[in-house]
Amino acid sequence: MSDLPAAPVGEAPTGVAPDQGLQYVGLATRVVSFVVDAALITLVDIVVGIGAALILSLLHIPHQLRTVLAVLGGALLVLGSILYFVIFWCTTGQTPGARVMQLRVVTADGSRIKPRWAVVRCIGVLLAALPLFAGFVPILYDARRRGFQDWLARTVVAEAPGPSIAEVTRAKRRAIREASEQPPPGPPE
Amino acid sequence: MSDDEKGTSRLGVLGPLVGFSTRAATATLRPIVGVAEAAAGAGLSLERRAVNRVLESDGLERVVVVAINSEHIQAALKQALDSDGAVQLIDSLFDSGLLDHFFERLLASESLWNLIDEIAGSPAVTAAISQQGLGFADQVGDQVRDRSRKADDLMERAARRLVGRQPRALPAEPDAST
Repeated sequence: MSDLPAAPVGEAPTGVAPDQGLQYVGLATRVVSFVVDAALITLVDIVVGIGAALILSLLHIPHQLRTVLAVLGGALLVLGSILYFVIFWCTTGQTPGARVMQLRVVTADGSRIKPRWAVVRCIGVLLAALPLFAGFVPILYDARRRGFQDWLARTVVAEAPGPSIAEVTRAKRRAIREASEQPPPGPPE
Repeated sequence: MSDDEKGTSRLGVLGPLVGFSTRAATATLRPIVGVAEAAAGAGLSLERRAVNRVLESDGLERVVVVAINSEHIQAALKQALDSDGAVQLIDSLFDSGLLDHFFERLLASESLWNLIDEIAGSPAVTAAISQQGLGFADQVGDQVRDRSRKADDLMERAARRLVGRQPRALPAEPDAST
């Protein structure tokens, strides 16, 4: 490990090169990404909640059972939110909010995180938020901009520049147009 | 009693004579009238055929092309358009209220709005609008990303200054020669 770059002054060496072609994303960008995700989750929750309430209003359910169903529904919404993050982090590494902000959650060496570490990271986010969001403060000081959840799940949040949604749509349309303009293959000789 | 018989009785002795002469004149003129009608019909048919032949022939097209390409005609048209008369003609057209009436009728027309609906719903127009919307979203996204990255650095610098730490080492810029 002697060829690792020295840690910046005042910071403990991490044992991993702070720059392996990854550019780390800071607190403000991550907050914006989280706000986009939260808005999406809230929207889905509202739609699902209204649907469930409408269905329940049609049925004659005792009051006590209603309370139990409400608790169950709340638990399902929390579980859905956790699954949202876990599934996106361990598949593409990008939630929709992260896609908009062009960032990605990866392991320290830049590879995709495993589902169990995604769950750990999710729990880490909750724990970091509990003491008045103090768990996110290390993002401002760490050489790799890691928060408590990143330290717990051994992840980093890196830049992931990619084509925008408009560019992807344009490319798809171009491909469809080109495919339709190509002459059909002739009969085999 | 019929009108003919009434007239004959009023003429007295001359009645049969007048009736006979009328019938004789009618019988004499009938073939002449028939020939004249046939000649008029043939003339009309000839005229129609001649017009059709002219319209279907290449000659008319050639005449139109030659006329449009003719320098004299172009010069005459240019002169006519540059003249005060053309300006007055346009002024009088607008003053007449004809155009206002035309547009009023056009806007009241159901088929115009059907046409507009067709155009608005056409795939080319909707694709153009969606592209415009996506392009706008793209611009907004770029701006938000750019500003949030700047905010990252600002917050970090401020936080580090607060505890007396040095700014974070920035990642090295990619070498232009590689």
